[in-house]
This record gives sequence, C-alpha cells and structure tokens, in this order.
Amino acid sequence: MQPGRLDRRFIEQLINLLMPFLAVLIAFLIGAVILLLQGVNPLEAYQAMIVGAFGSKNGLADTLVKAIPLMLVGLGIAIAFRGGVINIGAEGQLIVGALVTTFLGVQLGEQLPGFLGIALGLVGGGAMGAIWGSIPGFLKARLGVNEILSTIMMNQIAIQIGFYLLRGPMIDPAEVEAGTNIPHSARLPRTVDMPRFTDMAQSLGITNSAEEAGLSGYLGELYAVLVEPSRLHSGLIFAVLMAVLVYIFLWRTTIGYRIRAVGLNTAASRYAGMQVERTVVLSMTLSGMFAGLAGAVEILGLHHRMFEPTAVSAGYGFSGIVAALFGKLHPLGIIPASILFGGLLVGGDKMQRATQIPQVLILAILGLVVLLVITTDYFVRRRANRRVSVDAEAAESLPDDAHTPSPEASA
Amino acid sequence: MNEDLTTLAIILGIIHSGIRLATPYIYAAVGETFSQRSGVLNLGVDGIMLMGAFFGFYTVFETGSPVLGLLAAAAVGALMGLILCVVSITFQAEQGISGIGLYMFGLGMSSLLFKTLIGSVEGVQGFPILRFCMGGFCLADLPIVGELFFEYNIMTYGAYALVPLSWYLLNRTTWGLKVRAVGQNPEAADSVGVNVNRVRYAAVTIGGTLAGIAGASLSISLLNIFQENMTNGLGFIAVALVYFGSWRPVGVLLGALLFSTVNALQLWVQVLGLNIPSDVAVMMPYLLTIIALALPFRRALQPRALTKPFARGEN
Amino acid sequence: MNRKTWLSVIWVMLLAAFLIACGGGAPEPDDVSETETTVEEEPVEEAEVVEEEEAAVEDVSAEADVSDIDQVRVAIVMPSTITDLAWSQAIYDALLRLQEEAGGEEVFEIAFSESMFNVTDAAAAIRDYAEEGYDVVIAHGTQYGTSMFEVAPDFPDTTFAWGTAVDTGEDQGLENVFAYEARAEEGGYVAGILASNLSESGVIGVVGPVEAGDAKLYIDGFVAGAMAANPEAQVNVSYTGSFGDTALAAEAANTHIQAGADILTGSAQQVVGAIGVANEQGIPWIGTQSDQSSLAPDIVISTQLYVWDGVMSDIINKHLAGENGGTAYALTLANGGLVMEFSDTLDADAVTAAQEAADQIVAGSLDVMAVIAGEAPMEESEESMAEEEMADFPEIEPVRVALVLPSTTTDLAWSQSIYDSLVEIQEHYGEDVVEIAFSESMFNVTDAAAAIRDYADSGYDLVIAHGAQYGTSLFELAPDFPETSFAWGTTTNTGEEEGVTNVFAYEPRAEQGGYVSGVLAANLTEVGIIGLVGPVDAGDAKLHVDGFLAGVKDTDADVQVNVSFTGSFGDTALAAEAANTHLQAGADILTGSSQQVVGAIGIAQENNIPWLGIQADQSPAGQDVVIATVLYDWTDTLLEMIVSNQAGDYGGRVLQLTLENGGQTMVYDDSLPADAVEAAMAAEQGIIDGTIEIVAEPRN
Repeated sequence: MQPGRLDRRFIEQLINLLMPFLAVLIAFLIGAVILLLQGVNPLEAYQAMIVGAFGSKNGLADTLVKAIPLMLVGLGIAIAFRGGVINIGAEGQLIVGALVTTFLGVQLGEQLPGFLGIALGLVGGGAMGAIWGSIPGFLKARLGVNEILSTIMMNQIAIQIGFYLLRGPMIDPAEVEAGTNIPHSARLPRTVDMPRFTDMAQSLGITNSAEEAGLSGYLGELYAVLVEPSRLHSGLIFAVLMAVLVYIFLWRTTIGYRIRAVGLNTAASRYAGMQVERTVVLSMTLSGMFAGLAGAVEILGLHHRMFEPTAVSAGYGFSGIVAALFGKLHPLGIIPASILFGGLLVGGDKMQRATQIPQVLILAILGLVVLLVITTDYFVRRRANRRVSVDAEAAESLPDDAHTPSPEASA
Repeated sequence: MNEDLTTLAIILGIIHSGIRLATPYIYAAVGETFSQRSGVLNLGVDGIMLMGAFFGFYTVFETGSPVLGLLAAAAVGALMGLILCVVSITFQAEQGISGIGLYMFGLGMSSLLFKTLIGSVEGVQGFPILRFCMGGFCLADLPIVGELFFEYNIMTYGAYALVPLSWYLLNRTTWGLKVRAVGQNPEAADSVGVNVNRVRYAAVTIGGTLAGIAGASLSISLLNIFQENMTNGLGFIAVALVYFGSWRPVGVLLGALLFSTVNALQLWVQVLGLNIPSDVAVMMPYLLTIIALALPFRRALQPRALTKPFARGEN
Repeated sequence: MNRKTWLSVIWVMLLAAFLIACGGGAPEPDDVSETETTVEEEPVEEAEVVEEEEAAVEDVSAEADVSDIDQVRVAIVMPSTITDLAWSQAIYDALLRLQEEAGGEEVFEIAFSESMFNVTDAAAAIRDYAEEGYDVVIAHGTQYGTSMFEVAPDFPDTTFAWGTAVDTGEDQGLENVFAYEARAEEGGYVAGILASNLSESGVIGVVGPVEAGDAKLYIDGFVAGAMAANPEAQVNVSYTGSFGDTALAAEAANTHIQAGADILTGSAQQVVGAIGVANEQGIPWIGTQSDQSSLAPDIVISTQLYVWDGVMSDIINKHLAGENGGTAYALTLANGGLVMEFSDTLDADAVTAAQEAADQIVAGSLDVMAVIAGEAPMEESEESMAEEEMADFPEIEPVRVALVLPSTTTDLAWSQSIYDSLVEIQEHYGEDVVEIAFSESMFNVTDAAAAIRDYADSGYDLVIAHGAQYGTSLFELAPDFPETSFAWGTTTNTGEEEGVTNVFAYEPRAEQGGYVSGVLAANLTEVGIIGLVGPVDAGDAKLHVDGFLAGVKDTDADVQVNVSFTGSFGDTALAAEAANTHLQAGADILTGSSQQVVGAIGIAQENNIPWLGIQADQSPAGQDVVIATVLYDWTDTLLEMIVSNQAGDYGGRVLQLTLENGGQTMVYDDSLPADAVEAAMAAEQGIIDGTIEIVAEPRN
C-alpha cells in the first residue's frame, strides 16, 4: 500500500500543478476567439507571446527583470496577507522607497565605495518603505482605520509627494538649465549601479559569448542571459535571497509564527495572549519594507534615476498581489509565480508588437487568465479537502503547511 | 485675485462641486456596500465602471438616447458583476485577486471596444442639467438654494436618492436582513434555510449594476465623452469609501461627500492662487479622508465573513 | 475514478500548448516579429517616381476588342469603392463594359474586393484570387505592388496587373505582371487651360488628396495649364492629406470659394464633398478619373475620363494568348485612354483653346512634363487649415519607424500628436515606404525599455521613445544598435557626453504656443478671468503654463489666470471638476494640456465656453468650443530624423518644435474676432523674429 499511496500523492500533486496551466489554456482559447475577430492568427500571436517571454535571451532577460519587483512586492504582500492584513499600498511604499534611495544615491553615492553606496541605498529604500507601511498598520492597530482605505489613499499621497520632490528639490539640475523641466532626478553615480549579470560574469572572467562557448539552441540562449549584455541585474539574486529569508522568518522564527497565527485566527491569538496590535503593525511594516526594497532595487539596478512616480511603480502594487497569490502566499512559491506572471506580462507585450493588435486586447486576455487561474484553484482545493478527509492521519503527520497551504491561510 | 468672488460664492461653489463630483463615487461605493455586506470583496469596481462608461457612451453615440445608454451601462455592469459572482462565489476564488482580474479585463475590454467601434475621442449629448423651470421661473435661479440644490442632472439626483433606498433595502427588508446575515455569519444563515450563495449573487450583481451606472454617470452625464481608462482609479477610491462608511450607505455618502468636497476645495485653493504647491493641494482629499477616519468617534464593523467564501459543510 | 481520463486530457492540452510554443521550430524571436505586415523593402520607390520613367511603356488603343474571349475570370482589388466616382469606379466601369461586350457573366466573370485600404488584407485578397484560379488579378493601387510581387511567382499561369506603375518586375525575373499608369497631367493641363479661360476672378481652387501618384500628376498638369493660359491666374492648391476625407475636402472647397475661387477641381474619391459644396454655391467643377456629373449635373463642366477598356482588354487577350505579363501601359490622350469631355453650355472660345492644347499633346508638339519641369513652382494656397499645412516631403528610402508611447494614439494630446504626424508621413509615401509600429500605454518604463530593444532588434531604422522617462533605458540600449537611430523627448540630451552617437533629442518649446494662446485668450476674455487645467506642474505642461501666463501678462496685466493642476495625466473626472471650478470662479475662457483635458473640454462644450487646445487637434471632444489650437506638427522633425538616418547620420542632434520651424502651428477658428487673431499672429511673428522674449515668472 505504501508505494501505491506515494504514487497517488505524486499524481495528485502533478494534477494540482497542472491546473493553472489548464486555466491559462482556457483563457487563451477565449482570447483566441477575440484575436480571430480582430483578424489575427491566434497561433502566431501566442507563439510570439510564449517564445517572446521565454524563448530567447532577450525575452528571458525581460521576463526576469520584470520578475524582480514582482517578487519583492509579492513577498511583502504575502507577509501582510499571512498576518491578516491586506496591503494595497505597495505602489506608494515602492515610490517612497525609490525616492529615498535616489536621494541617498545622488547625495552620497560619490563619497562612498560602490558596495557601501548600494547597501545604503537598499537600507534607505527599505526603511522608508517600512515607515510608509507602518503608518496604515499603526492606524489600523490603534485607531481602527481599515488598511484597505488607508493604503489606497496613501498611494496617491506618495505619488504627489514624488511629483513635488521631483519637480522641485530633487529635479535634475540639467533639466532646469535646459529649460525642459522634466520631473526626474539626476542620474545616480555609476558606482552605485547594482552590477548586471554580464558585469558579474566578466568579473568572474567569463567573457565568451554563447557562440564562442560553442553553445547553440536554447542552451545557448540560457547561457547568453547570464553572460551576454542584457538588462538583467543582480537584483534577481537579491530578490531570491530575500524570498528564502522570508521563508525562514515566517516558518522558522517565533515572530513569524505569531504573524501567521494572528492571520489565521485573530481572536484565538488574542486569547492565547499574543499582542495582536503589535503583530499587525509589524506585518504591515515588513510588507512596506519589501515594497520599498523593490523601489530601491528598481532604481539601483535598472533605472538609475527617479522619474515620474507612477512610471516607476508601474502597477507593481497590483501585479505584485497577483504574483503573491499565484504563489499561494508562500515565499518560495512566489519565485516561480513572479517569473511566470512576469513572463505573461512581457509575452503579452511581445505579442502586441509582433501582431500590432491593440495593447489593451492583451490586457483583457491577461484579466481572463487571472480570473480563470484562480477559478481552477477551486478544484485543487476540493481535491485537497477530499484527500484530507481520506488520509487525515497522514495530513496530521505533515511537519508544517509549507507544501499544502490550506485555503483558510490565503483568506 | 478676483474681487467679485465673495466668500459666500466660493463656499457655495465648493459645495456645489462637491455634490456633483460625488456622483460616481456614490453609485460605485453604495454598490460595493451591497457586495461587501453580503461578504464579497469586489476590487474590480474600476473595471466594471469602465465597461459601463463605454457601453453607456456607445449607446448614446449610436442612438442619441441617454436613457438607453444608462440601461446599457446597467446591463453590462450586471453582467460583469455576474462574472465576479461565478469566480468569487461559485468557485470560491480568492477575492482580492479576482477583483484585480476583473479590473484588468474591464480596462482592456472597454479600451479595445473603444478602439474598434469608435476610434477617436468624441463628444455626445448626455443627460442635460435640470433647472426645474415652470413657466419662466426656475428653481435653479433661487439665490443660494438654487445653486446648491437645483442645478444638477438627473444622474446626480439619482445617486442621492439611491442612499435612502439602499438603507431601506439593507435595514428594513427581509432581503436586506439576509444580505447582512450571509455577510456576518453564513453558517448560521444557512442553518435557518437562507441560500447563502443566491443572496450573495444578488448582492454582487446589484453592486456591479451600480458600478456600471457609476461609469455611465461619468461618460454620459458629467463629462459626455469616453476615453480609455477614463476612471483613472476612481473605482478603487470608491472601494476605500466603503470602509470609510463602515458598510452603511449613509456613511458611504458622507465619505464620498467629504472626499469630493475636499477635492473641490483643493481645486479652489489652486484657482484662487493661494501659495500652495499643486501637489500638496492634490494630496489634501486623500490625507483628510484618512485623518477623518482616524478620529476616534467611530469604529468600523467589518462584516465578519468578508472575503470568506462559503461552501456548505465546510469550515 | 476517471483519473486516467483526466490525465490524458490534460496531457493532450499541454501537448497542444507545447506545440503552440514551439510551432516555429527554433526559438528565434526575430522570426516572430516578421509577420506578413513586414514589408520587404524592394521595388517600391520605382512606383513613386513613375512620371520619370517612360521608357518601355506600350501604347495601346483605347478600343476594346473582346470578341475572341471564350471564358475569362478577372479579379480586382481596389483601395476604395466601385461607386467612388473616381479611381476605383473608373476601372470597374471599364470591366463592366467589357463584360457586356464579351457576352455577360458566363463568359466574363468579375470578382472584386473594395475598400482594401489595409495592404495586408489586399495581399491576402490577391493571393486568394490567384489560388481560386482567376485568370487576371488586378491590384489597383501602387501600395499593393510589394505584396503582389511576392505572390506573383507562386502563380506563373496567372496574370497580375497593377497601377499606377511602370514596373512589371522583369528585373526580378517576373513574367506575369503587367503595369499601367494614367498620364493624368495631360488632361490636367487641358483642364487648366479651360479653367483659366473661364475664370473671371482669376482665382482657381484645387482640392487635392495626397501629393502623390496620379493626383499629383493631374494637379501639376492643371497648374501648368492654368498658368500657361493666364500667367496672372492664381491657382490655390490644398491637399487634405487623405483620399477619403470628404468632410475636409468640403471644407477645403469652402475655403477656396472664400478665397475668391470661381472654378474648382480636385481628385480622388474625397471630392464628392467638394462637389457638394460647389453644387450648393453654384461654382463650376472640373472632374477627373470618373464621370462625376451624376452628383451635380449642372456644375460639372468638364471631365478627364480614365478609359481603361483598351488596356484591360489587351491584358486579357494577351493572357488568353499565353502572354502573362511584361508590358507597361499608359493611358494618354493620344491613345484614347484619357478622354476630355466638355459640357455643351461652355463658352466656345474656352473649349477651343482647351481642345487645341489637347491636339498639341496628341500630336506630340506639347510635352506637359517638360512644361511642368520648366515652370516656376506652383503657388500653394496660403489659407491655413489644420491638415493642410503640408511639410516639404523629401525623397526617402523605405524606412521602418517604431513609436513607444506613454499614453494612447487617441489621447488627443502628447502621444496622438506624434502618431498623427507619422501617419501623415506614411500616407504621403505609402505603407510600403514608411512602416509604422507602435506600443501604447507604456507607463511601465521597464516594458518600454523592452519594447525599444525589441524594435531595434527587429530592424527598425528609427525607434522613438516618446517620453522623458524613457531616456535612461534608451542610453543603455543605443550603443548596442549603432545603425539604428533612436529619439526621445522632451529633452535636450542626446547622450553625447556618454559617448552615444545615435540618439536624437527633441523638445517642443511649449512656451511659445502657450504664449500665443495667452495673447489670444487675453484678447478674447471679457470678464478678465481665464482658467487653466494643468496635469502636473512639470515638463511640457509647465512650459505651456509659463508661456501662457507670460502671454496673458504681456497683453493685459489685469487679466487674471487661475491655474490648477490635477496631479495626474489621466484623471479626466478631476480635470472636468477643475474646469467647473474655473467656471464658477468666473472664467470665460479655458485651456489646459495633456490627455486628461478631454474631461475639461467636455465641460467647456456643455457650458459653451471657448477652449484653447494644445498638442493635438482636440475638436473631436468639443467641436463647437475649441476655438484655437497649438498644433504640434512632428512631420518635419520626423522627416529630418529619417533623412538623417538614411544619410548615415544616426543621431546627435537636438530638434526643436517651434513656431518658426513649423513644429508648432497655430490653428484659429473662423469665428474668432479679427483683432484677437491679429494680436495672436503678431505674437507668433514676434516670437519668430525674436522680438518677443518669453519670461517665465516663478511659481509654486
């Protein structure tokens, strides 16, 4: 019986894993109808999408570059959700983080050695995001202000602060001189640019291009992403590292346990003597910190200057929520979820360029994808419930819920 | 500075603007109140509004009839609401994310239809401003009262009429009781024979309908144009206002009025040339809404089952 | 139970997904962007310079002979409709006549696709017809050439024909393509002689579509003829920039009549609008291409008819005889392909003069092309209409231009203004010379960077990142594509300091247009209050506000401008409320910038308050109230970049859009009081001369 059960569990897991893909497929089928109505060959379009996102060096690099902020924001979202608060304010937290990082980078970047400057930028951005996130946390814990309301409002406030700073105190002096007055900061000194993958490869002495290394086909593309010049930067390593840290924090520390306990059952936690209010503030603060870090990494690794706040936050506050929930609010699940969702977004763009269909059509299809993916979740959960009732003992003997996140936890 | 403008005229102007500007927020936020009261968080209000705005506009563009436009907007809003019902209620999907999916779909679809069917920004003749004239005398010409109460179009009046109506529906009818019950304690409601999901379907669909109408109030009443993403996140503010109003229509109304009046005020601050950076002025309504809610005279009573899907025999 | 069934279903679907993903074999992204819309840059320019190549053109009698036809199937693809009273109808009518002569539908089958303005669709239609076994497939438009040349080799037994063209593809080894053209300048010259002789005011109006192809030939000939008959004559030529814009053509006709024209002519299907106006006002009309008298029998006094019967029957007969191509035809007066018709009611002397000219052309003693080449450049109309401001179009090679836009192509503002200009350029040169790709709503800078790189990667010659926020990414990418030109703005930074050589920078000096608007507004306001609805007080919008305030202040220091910012570029609802607030504060004129203002324009329209627009033509959102516009015309800027790119100079320059270089043009509504417009025009002149210096007052 034992091997049979293992076998069955493996198949169950496999089906669960495949469910989202089935959903994407259905969404694509509906999208195909719309595409046909627009006079576009759906096969060509989808090919452009998938190959565009994952099939080549540039596509992969774009996808991974996009996955970095999604991952960091997603981690923050996950901490908040796990702690029972909903953080819709990542947008604003990201902006204020990016602003502080930019300020520190421009002011101090020259004086400090590179790695210190980068570290300072990250710490500053993360700290500012944490402060911005702690405000709604505090307001909720102490004054009963709902965090959805305060975070939505604080997003707008952050945007306006950004505009105020960028067209006044922080504006690039060159802009004033040229008379164009574009609201962006000066470029950060190059010493605080987070190294790109290609830079790192070079410093490791790997300079062969894929061709020279004798790699062709998909392997060559994969090699090229890591070695040849692209926009992919070390923020990816940082983000993955953070995901692991968050996993350890949430599942291997007491504070992490408290956060999850409060999220699962506030009343019971209070009864058990936990300081629920403090935990709420803490989860919002940490959530804001990660959004702030996302802002810092975007500035240091990618943009190297701050410009229009909404162009930097770029909807990551919301797409980060999607990435986090696709990743089942599990820090390690968020890594592939961000890459896949980022690929979907990047691929959508490529598909638009390949077929010249309106950008918005892709947005509509992506909306369908999101709706259908979470719909199939239902079947996964139903199977899980059935299984739980069948082998209750086995479920109990599981060490933690890392591999079988319960539906309640994601509520 | 214009000397002709008296303080009174400015105050009247601010209130007048505030009352009018609140229109879409009230429709959308009251609709969301129904939805949340029944235990379903709908973050897709903005997407539904855009679909409503487009279909309302397109109908007027083709037929010239604002009434038909309004009906079309309501219908498409209801349909979008139903989509959310299927995803969030029947399939018990995570509500924070289903709304975002619906938002993306609505934003994309409305823009796509606009591009395919209209193509460029055009103006239409929407609902006219009512002045309540009888035989040469207009109520709108009355001093003070006229400007404050009698110079809006029918959709603005509709929004304010909606508030007592919703209050009545939620608090004085059996159906309202069921809505509150399934939002508060679906298991208990279920045990006394209430069909939880059916009640939720109705409430969310009503919410969608009102969101569609909210969109139409922009495209065929306040602005009389359609442009891609014309709501610019207004629907998310509407969701926030539900929390401000503690899930009560009257509270939502107060929130919408506060938010839009402060918005009107900040516009006046800029227009009058007071020495305040524009960004700081624009920030005011958002800031004040938070502060107002932080005042310690009221506590929110969140429906206990909000965002929690219901399935018989589970939990 | 059914786990196995489930699994197999999923596996099949996954397999399907995998097949989609790998459908193209090797994962080469560059293949993907090469869809059918991508134009192989080949024989296009030859069609453009058609008038210069007269070598191998065959003369064929206009007399049709279809008596020998047993069975033939002809298909035609047309850019407009068979009832367009112009280009498409002329050839379709000829085919119908041939059909009747040959013995009806059973013998002579005709299939047609009309309104094929989308070249990709036309290409599909051409291929489909060939596949369905049609004997002769006619691509009735220069723009179809490239696609037809691609299709033709696959169907060696099918005859293809296209025009206006002289290229039969022989250099490419094609043997089954005919080309045809209409020497419209001949009839144009005759019509010009007639018009000059009939005109009493000496002013003649010409409503042209796009300055290209047979329309250009006709108009050049017409102007030459008119000037030959009366050197004092004033021929006002206006181009609407489109073949189908009847409303604008009507407006152009109106303008000509207001400018004193007592005879009108014009070409392409758009002229039905102009003929309507001519009919209404009783102004004689001279037609070309098709017989237009059905529309206005009383005023169509003369027509240059295109008679395609001879050419078509010859092509068909050659096909039946096994000769599938290789000949270029021309419709001329001499071969009867062009026929001049004159109304009986006309002054006999005028008709005689015209007829004489026609005879000379037929006899070969008068070469119209030479006259045109020798004549002084024709006088263009000075009346300024928005679309009429045509740039000087230089000769260019085929070019692929990509735009990355922060907002949409229909935003009535920043993004639309450059897109419209690019489309105008494309309409001039044709889709096979100028290829456009664009990505809209690129508010996410990371996405924009990917778009920029992808465009450069897939071989676009000029990639324009239309927002200052894209600069950093642009400078990172530009060095990797040294032979691609990049451009961005608003900025003055071409990256030279960083060693980047292939980036153009552009900046609209918005304060100039703003200043002129301010002068206009200060002259128009009665109560002395003006409302301005801005987005965010920075960049282009800030310059506009600064200029506007300076313009108002210099005109009338007592006029008060209330400025408000919505804090966003897209918040239409708040912009509307800002407009309302301005009205309550007493403003009787409104202005504003960025895409959010459509909300404000809606309010202006509702309250009938004049609106001064900037960037794009905003009248669609408020046709009655948009009284003046600072139109950003990117045509010259774009052309300069294209020409520079083709000369091997890939960047390094800062291009400004100013009033002086036509990058900004002021468009005034007719309803405006003359003195206000004069004051504004004086301000324009002052800025151009440099006598006016725009001083921005510090603001918050």
